Amino acid sequence: MTQVLRPPATMTTAPADSGRGRRRTAYIRTIGLYLVTLFAAVTLTFLLPRYLPGDPLAALNDADSGTYVYDAQERDKIAAYYGLDKPLISQYGSYLSGLTRGDFGWSISQNVPVSTLLRNRLPWTLLLTGSALLLSSAISYFAGLTAAWHRGRFADRALITVLSVTRAIPEYAIASGLLILFAVTYPVFPQAGAHEAFPTYSSTWDHISDILFHLALPLVALTLGLVANKFLIVRNTAIATLGEDYMVLARAKGLSRRVLKYRHSGRNALLPFVTALGIQTAFALGGSVFVETIFAYPGMGTLLERAVFARDYPLLQGYFVVIAVVVLVANLLTELTYTKLDPRVGRR
Amino acid sequence: MTATTITRSPRAVPLSGRWTRVAGGLGGVILTVYVGLLFFGSQLAPFRATELAGRSLESPGGDHLLGTNVLGQDLASQLILGARASLLVALLAGVGTVLLGGIIGILAGWFPGWLDSLLMRATDLTLILPKLPLLLLIGALTGGSVVGLSLVISLLFWPTAARILRSQVLTLRSRTHVRAATGFGAGTWHQLRRHILPDLGLLSVAEFIPAAGRAVGLQAGLAFFGIGDPTQPSWGAMIRDAIAYRGVFITDAWKWWLAPPVLALVLLIIAITLLGTAAERRFSPRVARHSR
Repeated sequence: MTQVLRPPATMTTAPADSGRGRRRTAYIRTIGLYLVTLFAAVTLTFLLPRYLPGDPLAALNDADSGTYVYDAQERDKIAAYYGLDKPLISQYGSYLSGLTRGDFGWSISQNVPVSTLLRNRLPWTLLLTGSALLLSSAISYFAGLTAAWHRGRFADRALITVLSVTRAIPEYAIASGLLILFAVTYPVFPQAGAHEAFPTYSSTWDHISDILFHLALPLVALTLGLVANKFLIVRNTAIATLGEDYMVLARAKGLSRRVLKYRHSGRNALLPFVTALGIQTAFALGGSVFVETIFAYPGMGTLLERAVFARDYPLLQGYFVVIAVVVLVANLLTELTYTKLDPRVGRR
Repeated sequence: MTATTITRSPRAVPLSGRWTRVAGGLGGVILTVYVGLLFFGSQLAPFRATELAGRSLESPGGDHLLGTNVLGQDLASQLILGARASLLVALLAGVGTVLLGGIIGILAGWFPGWLDSLLMRATDLTLILPKLPLLLLIGALTGGSVVGLSLVISLLFWPTAARILRSQVLTLRSRTHVRAATGFGAGTWHQLRRHILPDLGLLSVAEFIPAAGRAVGLQAGLAFFGIGDPTQPSWGAMIRDAIAYRGVFITDAWKWWLAPPVLALVLLIIAITLLGTAAERRFSPRVARHSR
């Protein structure tokens, strides 16, 4: 009996393997497109800093700067050391071949390998944005289904009003508001950092709780901006399903409200929801730049801030390549999940 | 990329007509005050934004309604004059985004086939780019003048408008009057001018408003990172200065240094959002159909 009651995503009866070959082609095409996108992003990050004004050696060449190098020969030697005297195409070649070996070059401003800097920072950013995406997904999914269930009534309207206002507020405004409220006026949470400055942990649990404690405010600041969009998507798609015949039938059979809400209505709302989640990855990483800066969180965002001001080409390139890979992988996973969730997709 | 083609606009805010009219009116009134600041700000502000008007870190009172910052600049004047940067970028970037998205959306919608799929691929690609880091990088490299910033924002944020306008062109194409005109031998240019563009006008307004709101947030965000004209006051720069001065939280200074620009920004963005919700409901055929 339960088989008949499945939501329509799986109910569209398809011959068992007719679409398999075509679906494989679709997979290959999708992955191919992502590889092209990655290549475009890598090339763009190489070209942009070189064609736009600004020069990593400006501080050494400018007579007014404190680090001015008087000797022209010495300046050439420094340029040669960083490979900045070579023609563009050979710089590009060595950049690409370095990337394939995981070598992002040497940070000009901090004088350490870029890969070391990125490796130290990436986990914190992934922790922050990953948990913000998860938390916001959970909230928006349940809130969206609940609002759809009570559509037009007070809970629905209140949720819509509150969330459409919060989605308009920029992350740095939310972050500074939270900082003022919960770290300054009522100092419940720490103002900065990802863990204690000089930690002496008595146990692993101590360590974890300290990290969570420092994560709390940045997490909330980043999450708030991510809820509204997905909430509206879930709510609007779920409402569209509520009037469907299979919902009426399921209700007539006396299925419990929970099964109706989450299994029948919710499953259909998952599809556009997952798409939005993929697109939001880039958005969340962008937001984390502000949130990290305000809470002095030691992630990629604070690294980017420093790299931009020092015109640190290799560090900027490394940053963008890593972010682009994270964003593209997230979107690719989303699309593959989508095909899994809705068997109709691959078969068009 | 079948996953990203959603025909209706599921982000639309579904609220009743009366509510959105009230909200839109409220947004309009608040926005009028801000536009007033844009035009009369230089008369209202007691000092110039960069003028060293008093002692360092004065509390509110006397000549300085909101006190002074660490350099002794009048904070109330900076707040009033900061409206200019936000509103100009909102206007220019909003127009630029809709214009670019409109051109791409109309081309894609009107010429199905390779041009459509090429443009939609480009749209999907732009949509998943990490835009804010890219904006920070380009802004830092180019200096971030108001016009330049608006241009870069438009170049990165056109996809939403392009998609919505494309789908509208697609539905228009299949309407009988357009097909009849094609049957009578009407050329592309005539069709676009007579039948397509007039029908896109109001929808473009509905797309312009959220684009403008987003641009306000981005401009302040970039100014927060020190990107922008340093001689022009801006709320983002005020927030940056306040947070950079770590003592702002130890004393009460955050109340008149940090909070006012944050509130000014948030209020402006909310006003634009309210107006946008009303406009979307009024002008967008999809939303009108889907909200009850």
